[in-house]
Amino acid sequence: MTITDIDFEAILRTFVAESEEHLTRMEEALINLEAHPDDQKSLEAIFRGAHTIKGNAASLGFAKVGEFAHAFEDMLQRLRTGVLSVTQTRITLLLRSVDALRQMIPDAITGVEDLQSNQQSLFNRLTNADDNEMPTAPAPRRNQSERRTNLVGRRREDVQAWIERAHTVRVDIAKLDRMLNLAGEIAVAHGRLRQVLETTVRQGSEAWQAQEQLERLSVDLQEQIMKVRMVPVGPIFRQYLRTVRDLAQANGKAARLGLEGEDVEVDLSMVEHLKDPLTQMIRNALDHGIEPPEVRRTNGKDPCGLVTLKAFHDGASIVIEIIDDGAGLNRERIAERVRLLGAAIDPDSLSDQELYKFIFEPGFSTAEKITDLSGRGVGMDVVKRNIEALRGTATIDSRRGHGTTITIRLPLTLAIIEGFGVGVGDETYILPLHCVRECLTLPDDEGHHANRCGVIDLRGAPVPYVRLRNWYALPGQRPARESIVIVEENGMQAGLAVDHLYGAHQTVIKPLGTHLKNLPGIAGSAILGSGRVALIVDVGSLMREAAHATPLNANQEW
Amino acid sequence: MSETRSAEQTQYLTFHLAREEYAVSILKVKEIIEYGTITIVPQTPPWIRGVINLRGNVVPVLDLAIKFGMSQSLITDRTCIVIVEVDMDGETTVMGVIADSVSQVIDLPPSDILAPPAFGTRIKVDFLHGMGKSDKKFFLILDIDKVLSIDELKITATLPNSQGEMTALKELSQEGT
Repeated sequence: MTITDIDFEAILRTFVAESEEHLTRMEEALINLEAHPDDQKSLEAIFRGAHTIKGNAASLGFAKVGEFAHAFEDMLQRLRTGVLSVTQTRITLLLRSVDALRQMIPDAITGVEDLQSNQQSLFNRLTNADDNEMPTAPAPRRNQSERRTNLVGRRREDVQAWIERAHTVRVDIAKLDRMLNLAGEIAVAHGRLRQVLETTVRQGSEAWQAQEQLERLSVDLQEQIMKVRMVPVGPIFRQYLRTVRDLAQANGKAARLGLEGEDVEVDLSMVEHLKDPLTQMIRNALDHGIEPPEVRRTNGKDPCGLVTLKAFHDGASIVIEIIDDGAGLNRERIAERVRLLGAAIDPDSLSDQELYKFIFEPGFSTAEKITDLSGRGVGMDVVKRNIEALRGTATIDSRRGHGTTITIRLPLTLAIIEGFGVGVGDETYILPLHCVRECLTLPDDEGHHANRCGVIDLRGAPVPYVRLRNWYALPGQRPARESIVIVEENGMQAGLAVDHLYGAHQTVIKPLGTHLKNLPGIAGSAILGSGRVALIVDVGSLMREAAHATPLNANQEW
Repeated sequence: MSETRSAEQTQYLTFHLAREEYAVSILKVKEIIEYGTITIVPQTPPWIRGVINLRGNVVPVLDLAIKFGMSQSLITDRTCIVIVEVDMDGETTVMGVIADSVSQVIDLPPSDILAPPAFGTRIKVDFLHGMGKSDKKFFLILDIDKVLSIDELKITATLPNSQGEMTALKELSQEGT
């Protein structure tokens, strides 16, 4: 490859990425325009997008793309000047034309210049604007994988912002991962250096000052790298504007998507895992949640349903809510299904929240599918799996006739955890700091026996605890005094009896590899300042496991 | 692909494990490190000794002696960890295996590799590339990709042996509820 080849490829890449950006914005604006036909700003935005694509395509020699964009622009011009009015049919036509452009651009780059038949008919319809006949061809499916690769890293850029664009760079995620890894390793190496200094050099000396400066800088570096990895949820959310519109139309319903908290940022690596669950939940909301317009009218609701995607920060978590104002969950039906599935628990004794959790069970959703019951559940286990893979949780709240809210809680980042170090024998374990409530000395009477589990009196309340040494069957002797860390997860409190408390610090999470992932009670690993590997405890799953152990087994001394 | 590779490559690393000598293709060996601190990973089969920090990466360390049904390796001054690159469904995974001692790197042209006998070897024939000979003694050439394949590691995990009882019992107690 010569330099010019590389340059040209870079230009093409930019063209593809930018066009995708414009098309997404145009899509968004079109949907907005449908709701507010008089919105000149949306019209302008669509027009600008088409115009830029036209110009770029022409300058790169993609004549057909240019022509198509020109026809698109022409049609908009007529809408802008009021020659034509904004109708649903025309919006649909324009949306399909956006799809067509999305296909044509990669096609043109790979050398396919000619219009496909559906593209040609769209082209004809664009140029012949009086054609008001309802288009019959099904909308071409958008190529999701392509969109996925192009999604990341694009935001805020606008057609007008050429200057700004010159200051942004697209970076491969793998490079960012590598940078974060290196920053983590620097922190580890630095920890070692400090240990050496502690034993060899007196505090306050020049070496110590240099060390302190190094510490500040490496913490800064890590923070900066973390920041680079964060992307706003807005562009992810906005993709669903179109999904909601198309699904609603296909189901004979009317619905729109409301967005809140578009500026909230999530870790880049989460974006991938969020797409499937969001799609699934939005689909469910439209299939089962939002009622047909006539039903909604009868019930005194706005005939157009509202699905809201909302993101906000809550402590160390990011919360994403999918809210619909539809029919809500049918408690009786879910209870019936739970009974049918032969669960050991009597559904009637459960609170709504507890009962709704069953929707996330894999068997539950299959059963619903077979009987074709109208209730949620199809594929909700996929949602749960994806969310759990992100160390997050999902809960459902619903009011009959008023709608359903699914709340997803995710850690701020997948790469770094605020951890609390505890020691058992030679091993160090890290507890996620957000679960840690307080630390106490294990009462003497509990220190006598060496059971795996026990109960302590925490200011009058009985709190169960797990002795990590016995639970994990670790070798070595118990110290005379043990400590207990009170942790809380999902509203349940428990204690973890350990030998030592090492305190809180930030740690970079390292995956445990193919063989060791999905271990119960272990969320991952981290490398300590000493260079040792410490395991990160999955407090929630440990507590669940402990709750399932029978008292006999639980107290048996291994 | 393994045929072409074995035709080209003639070097093997030999090591001792429970007083037996084994060999593994040098192309699979990334490095050999001293046995250091290993972090125990609870609730895993006994032949997973734990994980180590290999320059910022967390790498599992396995005890093949236990996996092959012998008693657990005793740690001595000469114990080391052979870091191998294993091909797993097309993905390269780095793992460590404990060796009582590492002996030598030997040249072994394909013509000198003997087919293993139908039975009588200490480990399953499936795990072997063949047998080699040095100083009038046979040694087993391991097909490390097969020994450490995901399926293999899973199957062994469910077989309780003397060391595995604890894990197995624990699993049972959880299933019983």
